[in-house]
Amino acid sequence: MKKLTAVLLALAMILTVACSALAETEITFWHTYSEGEEKTFLEQVLPAFEAAYPEIKVNPIRMPYEGLNQQIITAVAGETAPDLVRMDITWVAQFAKLGALLPIDEMEGSAEVLADALPGPMATTVYQGKHYGVPMNTNTTTGVFNLERLKELGFDAPPATLDELLAAADKADPANEKWLFAVQGSFNWAMLPFIWTLGGSITDGDFTTATGYLNSEATVNALETIKAWMDEKIISTSVLGEEPGTWGGIEAGNYAMVVEGPWFYSAGEAKPNFPSAPIPAYEGRSISIVGGEDLVMLKGTRHQEAAWTFMKFMLSEEAQIPMVNAGMIPTMASNLDKVDTSASPWMDAYLEQLKTAAPRTPSAEWPSIEEVLNTAFESALRGVVSAQEALDAAAAEIDALLAK
Amino acid sequence: MRKGIRQWEQALPFVAPALILLCMFVLYPLARNIQISFSDYDILANRITASVGLGHYQALFQSKRYLLALRNTLLYALVTVPGQMFLGLVLACLINNIRRGQTVCKVISYLPVLTSWVIVSLIFRYLFMSGKGGLINYALMQVGLLSSPVSWLQNEWTANLVLWLFGIWKGVGWVMVIDLASLQGVPRDLYEAAQIDSANAVQIFFRITIPMVRNTTLYLLTVLTIGAFGAYIHVMMITEGAPLGTTNELMNFMYDTAFSKYEFGSAAAQSVLMGLMIFLLTLIQRRVTTEMVN
Amino acid sequence: MLQKCVGALKKAPSRLLLLAFMASALIPFFYMTATAMTPQAFTLPYPPILFPQRFYLDNFAEAWGSNHFSDYFLNSVLVSLISTVLIILVSSLAGYGFARIAFPGKNILFMILMFSMMVPTLTNLLPQFLLIKGLKLMDKYTGLILTYLGTGIAANTFFLRSSFLSVPHALEESVVIDGGGHWTIWLHIAMPLSAPAVGTFTIMAFSNVWDEFLYALTIIKSPAKRTLPIALRMFQGQNVNNWSLIFAASLIALLPILLVYITMQKQLIRGGITDGMLKE
Repeated sequence: MKKLTAVLLALAMILTVACSALAETEITFWHTYSEGEEKTFLEQVLPAFEAAYPEIKVNPIRMPYEGLNQQIITAVAGETAPDLVRMDITWVAQFAKLGALLPIDEMEGSAEVLADALPGPMATTVYQGKHYGVPMNTNTTTGVFNLERLKELGFDAPPATLDELLAAADKADPANEKWLFAVQGSFNWAMLPFIWTLGGSITDGDFTTATGYLNSEATVNALETIKAWMDEKIISTSVLGEEPGTWGGIEAGNYAMVVEGPWFYSAGEAKPNFPSAPIPAYEGRSISIVGGEDLVMLKGTRHQEAAWTFMKFMLSEEAQIPMVNAGMIPTMASNLDKVDTSASPWMDAYLEQLKTAAPRTPSAEWPSIEEVLNTAFESALRGVVSAQEALDAAAAEIDALLAK
Repeated sequence: MRKGIRQWEQALPFVAPALILLCMFVLYPLARNIQISFSDYDILANRITASVGLGHYQALFQSKRYLLALRNTLLYALVTVPGQMFLGLVLACLINNIRRGQTVCKVISYLPVLTSWVIVSLIFRYLFMSGKGGLINYALMQVGLLSSPVSWLQNEWTANLVLWLFGIWKGVGWVMVIDLASLQGVPRDLYEAAQIDSANAVQIFFRITIPMVRNTTLYLLTVLTIGAFGAYIHVMMITEGAPLGTTNELMNFMYDTAFSKYEFGSAAAQSVLMGLMIFLLTLIQRRVTTEMVN
Repeated sequence: MLQKCVGALKKAPSRLLLLAFMASALIPFFYMTATAMTPQAFTLPYPPILFPQRFYLDNFAEAWGSNHFSDYFLNSVLVSLISTVLIILVSSLAGYGFARIAFPGKNILFMILMFSMMVPTLTNLLPQFLLIKGLKLMDKYTGLILTYLGTGIAANTFFLRSSFLSVPHALEESVVIDGGGHWTIWLHIAMPLSAPAVGTFTIMAFSNVWDEFLYALTIIKSPAKRTLPIALRMFQGQNVNNWSLIFAASLIALLPILLVYITMQKQLIRGGITDGMLKE
């Protein structure tokens, strides 16, 4: 009898230990998915993770986008931080500099991640030679066209080159608010796709210097070209912040083309009369801008291993392919091939555009660089200074920021 | 001395809860903030890493963008504080003088105060657009005040004007409510006496109404000045500083310093400077107002 | 008859002026309501519309049903009501103390209090958060309500002090003769005589707490306990905003404050006409 009790006790103990080991680690994950995106995550991705790793419990918390950076800082400083955060790609270098993030280079299996990740999105996690996170989803902007307006201008399909599009400029009617196309604003997110497509650049390929690139003849020409479009009313004053903006304007027929992100299609109803196509090329180039989110691990996490397991899972096919339906483009080359766009044909243009899309300068000083760039573009467009002067000054300032 | 202690014994039950809360939630963070303003500060470790003396302050006064924001904030306060006070008082008098529909009028005037800054700012942005859909341009052209549309948000001073109008519009209802509370305390016989003296409405307004709401006026001056310095959402939503930072205000600059560039030392210095400026302004205003009324 | 007409004419300019005020307050509000009744507006209707094209209420229903709006709405009612009552209690006591009781150091204390109102609070969040954490009040409404009491204490005391200053001293003396102390004066004279001001204060205090976002998000960690402003921010996306839904949600969020305002309205008028006298 005693023996039996002892055996039972031992068994019970083993069971308890085993169970607690199984369900012990709980990791908290902050994200800013919209309600629809969150639904896909909770219903398709998370169950798959929990089935594969029953010993890890994920506690996903949806945060409002407003004030998210304040929340992260306060939580880290107050030692109440989550283990993982999904954040905008331009924040990572800055948070790494603050010392809020853990690098992933030493973690088990990071080599495979690095090998499979698309280089553009992966570059957004770099700070001082180390990778502080993994790219979770990526996006870019492409041309969005108004089919009816295209037909009025004599096109059956979106034009492939800027020259073709511009040749129809005289058929537009800016006096009646029917411009040829629109640039969303004078800020870098809207301007860089045109600057790059027209042949301009911000820095060298290693993001170390701007002088000779940002103020090169090619970049100055690109900026002058955009200003000329504005002066000749080929594009509207939306580039200076006026209405109709790109979204409302393309729907209302003010423009034949605007440049917008995939959210134009994933939000709301299907838009069969507004086909997407890569930004019309100039001299063979069509280069847009990389957007998206990275998944980072916060310093102070007590569950590094579990957190890293979740990070890797979010890069897998089981996670990235279901999220495509919520408009999230995969960041792993191996997943990109498996995307089925038959239900969302607009996605093809974005996938095509991504192949050449360029990242913004990955730097902990990005907010300052951004300010310099935006000021330079705005002052040249408003004609306060010449494009050359604006970009000369900006290049010098950005050099100083990059040297920091 | 003993009298002082006895007085404190009487006052303490009344003021103690507030003073304790004040020390915990306001004065301690304030002291910390002042300390940070003289230092380099690692926010994640909540640790001061180096003392920089007046460095942050000096850098601010050498920054063109900061000085521009300072100018705009001072102008914003200079225009919107008296603007809100004057129009709010006029509105309060108008509402006080009607017999029916007071509540409806009050609720309507209070709507701008209650609605979110983000939303009404966005609406203002659209109302002041320059294109065919700009409602303000359309209305002004219909009335004949304008012959061609104005690009309100594309020029430094018209864009600032829109921000000022917004500030006044958003606050008038609040001033009205405060003024009305004190106006309704003005004894009716004072007005009747004035009417017997055959004073006209404007005379009554300046001779009776304004002196009667003096206490309220002092309160409003202080609170509205603080509000004018602290406002930032309207700039973020209506102009984003455009054209070229000429409509930026101090609070936007500070927000950007703290939560876009994470330079907390400089942001702390900015907040101390702002506190000092408001404090000085309030003292001057009090002096001037008191002299004017007496 | 003629007299009546002259009277009406005399009043005409002021009535017109009042009408202009009402119109200026209402036009943006109409634009907001009309947008809230537009299906899926990802940009604001342009040119602006003042009247809805059709009477479309689905956005209101959708707003109420999404982003935990209705749950957070109820949480907010609880937090705002309790906070408002406590704020009135603590600040009216302090306001009375600063207005009517003489004690050494009062002026200096008051100056410090004023100055603290004037320094904007961007860097205060962390020390305040650490304090709440130290008190073990994280993720608790007690912690949130205490923060609302504490962070607003200077401005609230300042407001009520200035209205208590206006209560005539003569009335106080009769209480003192009858052997009453400061408690009696506070409860039976200062508070009732300042009813219009206290009413106004109630509206302000309630709507401040009702709209507060940053502290609510920082202190409350469990999604189930969140308050309404967080739900409202959830409608704002990173890349896309469905403005009709955001506007509809904001309009719903406006109702409780309007309710408090209209309730307090009666208080304002009653106190005002009978007793509120303004003297130094």
